[in-house]
Amino acid sequence: MQAWFFSSPPTWGRVRRGKPRLVVRQSSLAPSTPAPQLGGFLATFATIALLLLIPLCIARAQAQETVPEPAGFWTGPMGGPVPATIAGGRVIETAGLAALIEEKQPVLVDVGPLPHKPETIAAEEWVPPPHRTIPGSVWLPGAGDGKLTPKLDDWYRSWLEQLTGGDPSKPLVVFCHPDCWGSWNAAKRAILYGYSNVHWYEEGIEGWQDAGHETRVVQPELPPR
Amino acid sequence: MRKLALSLALLGMFGTPALADEEAERQAHWAELREAVFGDRAAVAAADLIALEAPKRALDAALVPITVTTKPGSDVTGLTVVIDDNPGPVAAKVSYGPRGDASLLTLRVRVNQYTYMHAVAETSDGALHETAQFVKAAGGCSAPVGAGEAESLAQIGRMKLRLSGEVAAGQPVDAQVLIRHPNFNGMQMDQLTRLYTPMRYVQQVEITLNDERVLSMENDISLATDPAIGFRFVPRAEDLPGKLKVVVRDSDDAVFEQSFDVPASGS
Repeated sequence: MQAWFFSSPPTWGRVRRGKPRLVVRQSSLAPSTPAPQLGGFLATFATIALLLLIPLCIARAQAQETVPEPAGFWTGPMGGPVPATIAGGRVIETAGLAALIEEKQPVLVDVGPLPHKPETIAAEEWVPPPHRTIPGSVWLPGAGDGKLTPKLDDWYRSWLEQLTGGDPSKPLVVFCHPDCWGSWNAAKRAILYGYSNVHWYEEGIEGWQDAGHETRVVQPELPPR
Repeated sequence: MRKLALSLALLGMFGTPALADEEAERQAHWAELREAVFGDRAAVAAADLIALEAPKRALDAALVPITVTTKPGSDVTGLTVVIDDNPGPVAAKVSYGPRGDASLLTLRVRVNQYTYMHAVAETSDGALHETAQFVKAAGGCSAPVGAGEAESLAQIGRMKLRLSGEVAAGQPVDAQVLIRHPNFNGMQMDQLTRLYTPMRYVQQVEITLNDERVLSMENDISLATDPAIGFRFVPRAEDLPGKLKVVVRDSDDAVFEQSFDVPASGS
């Protein structure tokens, strides 16, 4: 409990919270192997130049709010800057998605989280807010978690199998909210399952609505407990 | 191309059919909420009696400022603010006492997802008057607990009152009370411990002037951290100088109370 308490004076009216920001790791931005054939002077010069460049890269990365792709799934906080890419799949933007839906009827998978019921509210009193999604989507909350139990993994895998009719080349679109790792993880998972036409729609349901597209209320397909 | 022409023709005939469906879904949801809050009493859309101002796009979904105004002299006895797509959608239900004035109410709220917000005024004849505003903000209800909430918990129950303009008998006085309270909604995860912070929020606020009611307000979990309530009260000559008392009760049944001097100024 002690950790909660701060002695700083009240600061009324200060906007103190935005989306959580992740620290961009310097190690991931600096090249891992220096050029071997450079002479001492050149090496020093290159090092200085690199050191000068690093803060610039960081500033740039922060401005774009993107981070490098993690080696595996992202297991940190779900909200925060996400990569601009997804290896083995492609990033799709709103206009592209609208066209894809029109032309190819892709499988649409919404992996937005279930709203957490406050513990002290009785289950029968809890009315979760309506979940609005891209029409035609199947809502699979939890499919984008950093780690899935084998049971959950089977659940997600069999949903994708069912939705694609077992066709690994069927276009697949995975989304949740902007700056949310859930959709990145779930898209990555689909790629690793062997789907060859995976689209990650990073802009999510808010991006979809911002472009003036419709939504539809859906119920979740609940993961097994 | 033929497809496009066909779509355009359909648009021409039916407006935007898809969006009309979404709109119908949203209106149906509001109808359910209204019935839950007001029973089967019909409300009249009355933009001339009540207005709701909220940012069309909020910078911080966990701290969205809203302003409800009603036409002065329209005999409003209560104001209700509903955020349709929030868990715990009734952000505030205010009823006014003899020293209250419903012409202005400001709040700061959390917004879970792109949603309609409704403000409903009840007049002394029992009629309901509603207005709506669509707000694009998302993620405010699950926004993680940060240092700000820790500060608020440490200072819990402290209050400040701001009076603006002159204080004169018979004239509405603009006031804002700031209440230190983390207002945990039970849906916020601590990013470090990955645990949900237990719910603890401001449930009731009573404001009196010399023991006569200005307003009483009931809240669900939609108010932002450190509730800030802007309101108006009307002192009589015998009320000045006087004491404005604010009593806050939270969901843990903790009661916080503070009195503020209301000086007689101007006139």
